[in-house]
Parts: sequence; C-alpha cells; structure tokens
Amino acid sequence: MKGVVLALALLGVGHAACADAHKPSDSYLTLAVHGGVVRGHWDIALRDLDLVLDLDRDGDRRLTWGEIRTRETDIDAYLVSRLALSAGDAACPLEVAGHAIDHHSDGAYVVVGLSASCPRAIDALTLDYRLLFDVDAQHRGLLKLAAGEGGNTTRAAVFDRDHRRQAFTLGGADAGSALRSFVRDGIVHIATGYDHILFLVALLLPAVLGRQGGRWSAVPRLSVALRNVAATVTAFTVAHSITLSLATLHVVMLPARFTESMIALSVLVTAIDNLVPILPARRWLVAFAFGLVHGFGFASVLRDLDLSGAMLALSLFGFNAGVELGQLALVALIVPVAYLARSLRGYQIGVVGGGSVAIAMLALGWLVERTLDVKLMPF
Amino acid sequence: MPTLRAIAPIVVSATLFAASAVRAEPYVPASDAQVIERLPGGTDARGDRAMRAMRALLARRPADLDVAVRFAQACVDRAKALSDPRPLGQAQAALSPWWDAPDPPVPVLLLRATIRQRSHAFAPALADLDRVVAREPGNAQAWLVRADVQLVSGDHEGARASCAHLEGITAVLCVAPIDGVEGAAAAAHASVSAILDGPTIARDERLRAWAGTLAAELDERLGRTGDAEARYRASLAIDPFDAYTVAAYADFLLDEGRPQDVVALIAADTPVDNLLLRRAQAEHRLRSADAARSRAALAERFAALHARGDRVHLREEARYVLELEGDADAALALALENWSVQKEPLDARIALECALAAGRARDVTAVADWVVRTRLEGARIAELVRRVRAS
Repeated sequence: MKGVVLALALLGVGHAACADAHKPSDSYLTLAVHGGVVRGHWDIALRDLDLVLDLDRDGDRRLTWGEIRTRETDIDAYLVSRLALSAGDAACPLEVAGHAIDHHSDGAYVVVGLSASCPRAIDALTLDYRLLFDVDAQHRGLLKLAAGEGGNTTRAAVFDRDHRRQAFTLGGADAGSALRSFVRDGIVHIATGYDHILFLVALLLPAVLGRQGGRWSAVPRLSVALRNVAATVTAFTVAHSITLSLATLHVVMLPARFTESMIALSVLVTAIDNLVPILPARRWLVAFAFGLVHGFGFASVLRDLDLSGAMLALSLFGFNAGVELGQLALVALIVPVAYLARSLRGYQIGVVGGGSVAIAMLALGWLVERTLDVKLMPF
Repeated sequence: MPTLRAIAPIVVSATLFAASAVRAEPYVPASDAQVIERLPGGTDARGDRAMRAMRALLARRPADLDVAVRFAQACVDRAKALSDPRPLGQAQAALSPWWDAPDPPVPVLLLRATIRQRSHAFAPALADLDRVVAREPGNAQAWLVRADVQLVSGDHEGARASCAHLEGITAVLCVAPIDGVEGAAAAAHASVSAILDGPTIARDERLRAWAGTLAAELDERLGRTGDAEARYRASLAIDPFDAYTVAAYADFLLDEGRPQDVVALIAADTPVDNLLLRRAQAEHRLRSADAARSRAALAERFAALHARGDRVHLREEARYVLELEGDADAALALALENWSVQKEPLDARIALECALAAGRARDVTAVADWVVRTRLEGARIAELVRRVRAS
C-alpha cells in the first residue's frame, strides 16, 4: 500500500519533459509616447482577472460579457493600482478608458484603453508593473513601447517578478523632436484644413491687383504686391496666434460648432468681397479680424492632445510655426503665378472672379452644414 | 476501431478553452449573455470549489506554511491534470514567503523542485532534491522525482542510484523507464506487465493508466505495434484527458501512417500545444484544408512563448519548424539546443531527423553515439542512426 502511495507521487510529477498547454500567464501592454502623454492599451487574460476579482459570479466556469461589463469599475480600480508611470520624479496619473475583448493564443483577454498625462515632456519613462505577481509568480508583463517621431522607435521589454520597475530613455522624445512633431502637426493641419486654405486663397488672389471704384486692376510693381501679401499674411498670423493661445490656455473658450460656422462665414464673406466690395478696403484688417476666428479652429487640434506645462508652451510655439510654414508654402505657390498673370483678363475674370464664386459656393455649403449640423457635401 | 471512436468525443470535449487561431481586432460584445471565455476546470465543480476555498484561506493566512503547501500541491496537481502551466505560477506565489529563503522547509523544497522541473530548470530542481535527501534520506518521493529529473536530463547512472533508495512497486516503476532506454525494453516490459496484472495496482486507475502508457511505449520500441495500440487505448479509456498519453498515441499513429486517426483523436481547438502539433502534422500529411489554420495557430503560440522568453518547448518547436515550415537548418538548431537540455528518445529522434533533412549528419554525431552507447532500442531510431552514420 505504501508503494502505491509513493508511486502516486510519480504521477504528480508526471513526465518531466512533457510540455504544457499554452504558456504561463502574460499581459500585453502596448504604449506610445506623444510629447507629454502616454496612450495605449493593456490586454489582460480573463482567466487571470477571474483569479483576483472572482468575475465568474455564478460559478459556472463560463465568463459572460455581462459578468465582465458589470465589473468594469472593479477591473479599472485593480489595474490602476497595479501600474504606475512616471517621467523623472513626476508621476503621470493613469486613466482607464474603454473596454473591449480580444483573443490571444491562450484565450480571451479584456483590452482596456490607457492614457497617462505627465506634467512635462517625457525623456525618461519609468514603469512600475505589479500585476498578478502576488498570485502568480510566473506572470510576465510584455511591453511594447513606441516613441520618437511618428512612434517609429518601438522597444520591447518583459516585466517579471524580479524586474518590476524599469526605466526607458526615450531618445526620440526630447524637446527638439517633440517640437518637430508639433511643427509637423501644424503643417498637416493647414495642408488638410481646406477652409483655412481657401480663406487664404481668397485673400491672396487679389493681392496682385488693386481696386479702383470696385474694379480690379493689376498692381504696377512687384513691391506693391509683396507689401499686400506681407501685410495680409502677418495680420492673419498675429490674429490667429492670439486666439490659438487664449483658447489653448483655456482663457477663452468657444463652442466648436460656433467657431467652425464662423470660419465658413469668413471664407464666404471674403470670397464675395472679391466680387462685390462689402468689406473694408484695407485687406489686412479683414485678415486680422477673421484670423481671430481661425485661431479658435486651430486650437481644437491642440486641445485634443491634452497637453500641459512646458509641453504646452512648446506645442503652442511648434504648432503655430508649422501653421506659418504651411501658409508660406501656399504663398510661395500662389503669389508668383498670380503676379505674372495679373494683367490677363483671364486671371482677373476667370481666376479671381470664377475662383471666388466657386469658393463662395463651397463656403456657403460649409456654413449651412455647420450651422444646421447636417451633411451636404462629401468633404 | 470501436475504442478510438469511443475516446474521440471525450478528447474533443476535453478542450477547455475555445482558442481562436484567427486574430481579429478587439471588439465589444453585443450581448451580456455572450460567453467570452470558458475557465479551465469546468468539468470538476467540486475540485473547483475546493480550490476557491483554499485560495480564500490562503489570502487570509498567507504566512501559514501548512495552508500554503496544501494549496501549492493542489495547484501542481491541477497543472498536471489540465496540462496548464498557470497553476504552477500560482503555487510559486503561494510559497513565496519561503521560496527565496536560504533554507526552505522540506515540503517547499519538494514543490519547488517539481515547479522548476516543469519549466525545464533541471539543475536547480536537482539541487533542491539533493537538499531534501540530505536532510531526509528516507524521503521516497524525493528520490523518485530525482530519478525522473536525472533520466530526462540524460544522467541514467544517477537515476539508477536514486531508484536504489526505493522499495517494492515504486522501485520497479522507477527503474523500468531507465531499463527501457538502455537496451532492456523487454525486461522492463515484463516487470511493468507483472505490476499491471498484479493485485496492488488494480485499486488505482490513474496509476494503471500511467503504467499502461509506459508498457505501450516499450511495446513500440520492441516492434509490437498491435500490443502497443491496445495498451494506449486501455490507458486512454481510463484517463482520456491525459495529454501525455494522447501525444504518445498520436505519435504512434503518425508513425503507423494513420494521420486520419490523429485528426479524429485530437480536436482542432485543443488548448494543448503538444497535441495541436500532432494534429497539424497529421493534417499536413493528409493535405487537409485545415492544415493552414492549425499551422497559423501553432505559429502564434510559439511566437507568444518567444515574446515572454520561454525556451521550454524546443523539441516541439523543432518538429514544427521541420515539418510544417520546412526549414531543416532552423529546426536542427532548435533540436540541438533542446538536446543540450534533455535527452529522451524523442529528443534524440528529432535531432537525427533534422540533421538528415538539412544534410548535416556530422552535427549529430554525438546524438547518434549516445543512442548506440545507451543501446536505445527501436527500428526507427536504429534506421536514423544508420543513415546518419552512412552519410
């Protein structure tokens, strides 16, 4: 009898070289650093969460979406208590947003969205990972961390029981590259913001002309044209810089729908003014007044990035510079051609006249869409 | 094949998780009633409740050695029963107050050795067992586990020395696997058969299944295919969930040129990597439409293991890379890395097969020598050694 009992020990051991099903417990942490913000998602096996949170309330060994969904608050609280991010000495409070399900090689995982805002630019990110180690000593956290310009540097790291705290130097996330990324954001924003482009086009097309008695005629010299362009662009820049800063710093806040409608109206009025004078003759005044409106529009992009502290000043400066660069590119594209063509009737009637009609129609469409919150046009 | 047909549905239903080989984007389920995950252990509600109760007790008394050891032992048993490594990490966590201590108590050393052995940390496992037998020379369990670890890592002499500390049926079952790989398969088979036919073992079904599988492997080595199949089926009739026996039987069927029976034996969504490998090999040989899916699932599982830095499934990975990815050189590298850690008949065989496929017979001279020196029997391994030596 004793023999049998001992032989059972052999069963407990089993076959030493027999590989197991699947792998031990892992979680998958995928993060990306954008300036002073870390975003990403965290995939945790439901089997593992059940171990610590008893998700399977009815004990039927089947986890339903209801059993998971109704415990989201507990899940979030648990996860936030098990992961800490910091940049230098400053903590970056972690927030959990959104829950979904995904499948990895060993079963279903809950996927939670993560975001953490650091008080300043992240040049060294420290992660303190403590998930599950107290109940599963072989658990590992598998991190993929993207940083640098466009998130093109991806690093992988493994957190285990003996390596819970790890620091990552983000070579790509220094102030210089953060600034470059904001400049790029600004250029992209103006290049893809058709309302801003058309407003500028409407302002610039007649800059090579002079108005006499409601009729356009070619300016005599290049210097006159350039003075017009410089005054217009500078006024627009100064104005939108003011409101961009005020809005980003939360000094003045306007509802997005109002701002967007006003931008459409500014395009419409400027285009009409090219056909029939309805605005002050000094165009830089027009550019300034409407530039104030466009600045509020730019601000919405930065607000989405949720920046703060030193990062905010950097982003304001960089983004604004990017917008200016985009504007200058547009000027460089339009003004020389317009100057050379300024005496042609085709330019004065076809381009300025026809172009302004087209811009006005488009702007009218935007205005209707944005004020009534409907969709009329495919762009 | 009435037995096979009787077993197949049980094995199919033994799949405890619905593992999907197809990776999609994260989604939000549409209905609260949707079942997202099946937790393991669903067939044993009582065992499950016992585990939960023990876990709760442990949470209240984490410094209680007795509670921790009982919980850890239950975890180790569960890991074995479900072929699931997760409970091993849970056992380790329960033992953590003693795990890193300079001189842990004997029960902790025994469990730590078992957990380390399962992750193929054979040398640290042996060190733990040495400490146990130094303190308690009469600890039969320690000697038995020690012999097992020594045999797997290729120290046959040491394994024999460990078995010498045992008595009776335990000693016989300790020595038979060593004899079985050292040119005495017939004698080993005779002693295991005697135990199987004797009265002592009749009372314990799991032990009978275990000894039956050992006898089946010895039958195979001796070229008695009919007897081997009967033994495998008898073991599976007792314990259809035993992944080791299912894998050994699947290998037998693959060798016998019966891949369709492997597909019937192992479910497509098996959670056990070892079994999925066999099924994928069978589908590949059948040129089945499912082959690509199983291959992708295996690739994903190996990738997941690599990501966490595990080097435990090298033998299986070598088989996968050789047959399913057709990269003999890469497979040989895995097989040789595996051979440096463990030296069982299957380890020798995959190394020889990879080297022949890669046309690099010289890389496995040591393996072939080992097979000859240990006098490992079997027509297939003998043929592989002949070809390696001929080239």
